[in-house]
Amino acid sequence: MKFIGLVLKSARRSKRRTLLTIMSVAIAVFLFASLRAVIDGFNAATEASSSTRIVTLRSTSLFFQMPTSHADVIKGTPGVQDLTWANWFGGVYKDPQNFFAQFAIEPESYLRMYPEIELVPEERKAFLDDRTGCILGDGLARRFNFKVGDKITLQVGIPVYGTRDFDFNVRGIYKSGGAAVDNQSMFFHWKYADERSIQPGQIGWFVAQISNPDQATQVATAIDQKFANSPNETKTDTEKQFQATFVGMFGNLNLLLGSIALAVVITTLFVAANTMAMSVRERTTEIAVMRTLGFPAGTIFLLVAGEGLLMAIVGGVVGVGLARGLVSPDTMQAGAFIPVFGVTNMNALVGLLLSALIGILAGLIPATMASRLKIVDALRRVA
Amino acid sequence: MGLIGSYNLRSMIVRKGTAAMTAGGIAMVVAVFVMTLAIAQGFRATLVASGSPQNSIVLRKGATAESVSGVVRTDVPLIENLPQVARGADNRPLASPELVVAIALPRQTDNQPANVPVRGVGPKAFEVRDTLKFVEGRRFAQGTREINVGRLAVGRFKGLTLGSDVKFGAATWNVVGIFTADDASFESEIWGDADLMMPAFQRPGYQSMTVKLADPSMFDSFKATIEGDPRLYLRPQREQDYYAEQSQAMTTVIRVFGTFVTLILSIGAMFGAMNTMYAAVAYRTREIGTLRALGFSRFRIVTAFLAESIALALVGGVLGCILALPVHGLSTGTTNFTSFSEVAFKFRITPALLAGGLLFSAVMGAVGGLLPAIRAARIPVARALREI
Repeated sequence: MKFIGLVLKSARRSKRRTLLTIMSVAIAVFLFASLRAVIDGFNAATEASSSTRIVTLRSTSLFFQMPTSHADVIKGTPGVQDLTWANWFGGVYKDPQNFFAQFAIEPESYLRMYPEIELVPEERKAFLDDRTGCILGDGLARRFNFKVGDKITLQVGIPVYGTRDFDFNVRGIYKSGGAAVDNQSMFFHWKYADERSIQPGQIGWFVAQISNPDQATQVATAIDQKFANSPNETKTDTEKQFQATFVGMFGNLNLLLGSIALAVVITTLFVAANTMAMSVRERTTEIAVMRTLGFPAGTIFLLVAGEGLLMAIVGGVVGVGLARGLVSPDTMQAGAFIPVFGVTNMNALVGLLLSALIGILAGLIPATMASRLKIVDALRRVA
Repeated sequence: MGLIGSYNLRSMIVRKGTAAMTAGGIAMVVAVFVMTLAIAQGFRATLVASGSPQNSIVLRKGATAESVSGVVRTDVPLIENLPQVARGADNRPLASPELVVAIALPRQTDNQPANVPVRGVGPKAFEVRDTLKFVEGRRFAQGTREINVGRLAVGRFKGLTLGSDVKFGAATWNVVGIFTADDASFESEIWGDADLMMPAFQRPGYQSMTVKLADPSMFDSFKATIEGDPRLYLRPQREQDYYAEQSQAMTTVIRVFGTFVTLILSIGAMFGAMNTMYAAVAYRTREIGTLRALGFSRFRIVTAFLAESIALALVGGVLGCILALPVHGLSTGTTNFTSFSEVAFKFRITPALLAGGLLFSAVMGAVGGLLPAIRAARIPVARALREI
């Protein structure tokens, strides 16, 4: 610890070089933390999914629907406590570019089974009472500046809902109380969409509440068996599995983003190690003098390594600070199917640890170089 | 050029450790740049290859993709008998009314269900899409539950090999042939008889109609005729335009993301190059003084050091391109969100993309080397010579 002054002094020796190194570490940590945040954003819904909700789809694929009569059969399956359902609406708000998710839901049971949709009681009641009412996530409301009481018109996106536009009254703005429901969606009454559908009485997916999460697989199998060999066979999965399917749609994201993150780290390692090596080479004579004065090789090693670590950590703090400030759910609404993301404390911590790792690795070779210096040769060397 | 060749490039070789590290940093940036853009390039090429200049795809007015379109049965003869539609050897119109749905099949890699597009086609489909070639087996026979599978789908999803039975739409279908389509998105699809698929999927009508025009120049009159017919609520598009539009959103997302990440990363690498060049200038103060004393102008010194930096970065650029090259041709897949089904495609590194990577590295070298080069030129001769 008593050498901290010495380390600081040598870091200040070439201010420009130290600054450039700190900045390149900062940029790397910024990128790394942001990439982690993106990956987390994609996985958040899967992580936060409930273990007591299971989702029933048509076995063919989620493009196919089931008759409402499935509801009674699923409700009658042992282990099922509660049931709700939803349809994908796929409407267009003014322009296809303004994409956001719209779900036609069975309102009462859906709100009951998804406590993640946080609504104040008055708005909840207003929504339930209005057949053409809808509720919006606060993120979505911010994006288009929607307020309670507004009217929203959606053009039909899926031919089954006819050609006439749908009008909705905004009855509430909900907050998301868990990543299983995002704050970018719109929910409205299933009946409203169904009564204008060319094929009425069709349901996209059912969500069942089960009493015991350990029985999820058994209950799911029991439901699917009831519809086996019928024209509308089903496939029931846990909510986690259902969400994971959506993440998987993007392709191998973890691999892609992971390799970019690795490239970021390697690039910075090159830059930082290079700088440290340069600064050691420049100080050859100085180090030889210190060794002559009696500093042991180990101390020299620690001094050089400490300098690398210090620069890297300062860079890490700057990078994490930037990432925390710039990459937040408020600023990062890419829209479309990309989930909202922001740098969390955990991402920041990982970023800091990474900067420390870069510092240690980058300082290793130069520090070894410095501590193994042959005093006689080094003193004889000019410049 | 003499100074650059005999002095700067040789000095680079003398400082090989530092030079290698700097070039290594730049190589990583260029590799990331080339690889991410190769994804966008591959995805786009796959969709664009699906369109032929001679074909037109007819969708419901306002539909942005086949998945949200609808063409009723009675529309089919009205379109296919138009004079602009080419005719086959049997004098029947070259038109294919089609049905596109997606079925869930597990991926080979992670066993997760993916949405695989299934296309029910008309009898003339293989003449309308003449790039389709069978690599194994034969085409499905009309009126049977036989299917053909695109080459990329065979490798990507389970249970689609030649001869196997696939269950979907409350029926069992037998794979009798595997086709290629010049890397087009059809290679990720399953093809079968539209008239058998419609009842199997409980669909009342078709979703699109693709016709081969007698001549590409007839598109405008084809379009005018259909849009002028009050019985048809349809809009024809050039097939190429349609598929280019389909790739737009995804390609833009990948490009913006790739450029954003590489730009930020390149700043870090540029700082590295700057460090190296500043150090290079500092080590060689005396040498620079000597060069100036010998009569080399400041401008020559600036250009020489700038060239050294650019050369260093270009070495990194070449290295980065070489690092990225092995991904070329690797096949991967993602969901095309306009159709919500999975498209398999290959990473595609084009010469233009490599040239872009090299240019990018040269720019990094130039920006990183500019300030150090100016510093080198500004060194006062007398003081530089005195320095040890």
